[in-house]
Amino acid sequence: MPAFVPSAATLLQAAADDLERDVLPALSGLPRYRVRIVLNVLRLVTRELEQAPQADAAERERLLQLLGESGVTLPELRADLAARIERGELALDDPALVAHLTAGLREALAIDSPGWTHER
Amino acid sequence: MSAEAVGQAIAGVLSRIAGAGELQGLTRLTGGATKATWSFDWVGRGGERQSLILQQTAARAAPSGEGGKSAPKLTGGEDAQLMIAAREAGIPAPRVLHVLAPGDGLGEGYVTERVEGETLGKRVVGDAAFAVVRPCLAAQCGEILAAIHNLPAARVPFLAQLTVAEELSIYAGLLAPYGFVHPALSYAIRWMGERLPPDDRAGVVHADFRTGNLIVHPRDGIRCVLDWEISRIGDPMHDLGVLCMRSWRFGGKGECGGFGSREDLYAAYEKASGRSVDPERVRFWEAFSNLKWAIACVRRGSSRGADGRPAGVELAAIGRRLEEPLWDFMALAGARS
Repeated sequence: MPAFVPSAATLLQAAADDLERDVLPALSGLPRYRVRIVLNVLRLVTRELEQAPQADAAERERLLQLLGESGVTLPELRADLAARIERGELALDDPALVAHLTAGLREALAIDSPGWTHER
Repeated sequence: MSAEAVGQAIAGVLSRIAGAGELQGLTRLTGGATKATWSFDWVGRGGERQSLILQQTAARAAPSGEGGKSAPKLTGGEDAQLMIAAREAGIPAPRVLHVLAPGDGLGEGYVTERVEGETLGKRVVGDAAFAVVRPCLAAQCGEILAAIHNLPAARVPFLAQLTVAEELSIYAGLLAPYGFVHPALSYAIRWMGERLPPDDRAGVVHADFRTGNLIVHPRDGIRCVLDWEISRIGDPMHDLGVLCMRSWRFGGKGECGGFGSREDLYAAYEKASGRSVDPERVRFWEAFSNLKWAIACVRRGSSRGADGRPAGVELAAIGRRLEEPLWDFMALAGARS
């Protein structure tokens, strides 16, 4: 990536802050509802830019442990795990499998819906 | 359709069915991510005012080939017939004034009376205005669900009847066109498939009876049950499972709808229906409903307009809610502690 300044995450954060502070209060009805969704999307993508590289590395590491050297890329490893689950090659109560799926969902929720893993 | 086009067409319909008058306050409501809902008033020559809703339902997709069953989806006309049958049985469904015909130029759907009250889940479970009525809602849900499940199936012969195995295979099959791979989805589909209960009970099931689809009044509680379009004949415990999903609690306290307790729901349901609640079966349907919501998130998140561009930020963003039901599924499956 070129030596950008500011970073994409910083730009998105600035855009979201402006929308929230200066645009949202002037709106009502459907436009307000839509801008609220856009704001949430900007915040989400900001978190993804910041957290996805680490989450991908952690998932790849766990998949290699679980499956052995069964694929090179993350999508290949994921597809292999999904296929093994579907073919019944892994027991559904296998603690390593459950721990992997839970960790992956936790990492994704930290980006998509922070707070969901804390409630209940 | 533009607001102007809808306004012209609906004014034509109303002058035919309600007599000459004037259309006022036509507004597209925010609710309804896959269909259009419009609110308006029709004011007659003598000044009498009717508060109305126009529901344009999405046209039904062509049935899948091979004569296979597809996911239940009522036409606008069937949807209206079911609501009429429900009202006759004392269930608070919208009062239907008109079923749209091809000549109306508005597609499929219907016109109903507008019911005053709140549908937004966050407000129903959290606003002070509903604090007094909130403790009554779970029991009210139990009574209404009992009445829905006791509707005579012969009155609504167009409702599909699905076995639980058919339901799983239909909804899992909906993912096929997307080529989307997610090990937790594969896990959930296999887990359900290994635990299918017997098809030993059947009644009319609403299948989307939850906070957000109920109009709640600060004094009367539930005044109207909306969104009947995926109703079918099936296991009544299905409806109790949907109502208790965390995704539909909107952050509220209370496992029933974010406003009440399972105990209140189950007790009122048993008293009104004469059927016993099977908590394990409710848990099965709650898990299944989380899987179905996860599949719906994938489909909505992947939706495209006719021009190939994403179908809008509201639908697209729903794709990113995928992990919420999968996380809850793992807990219901007893896999995640």
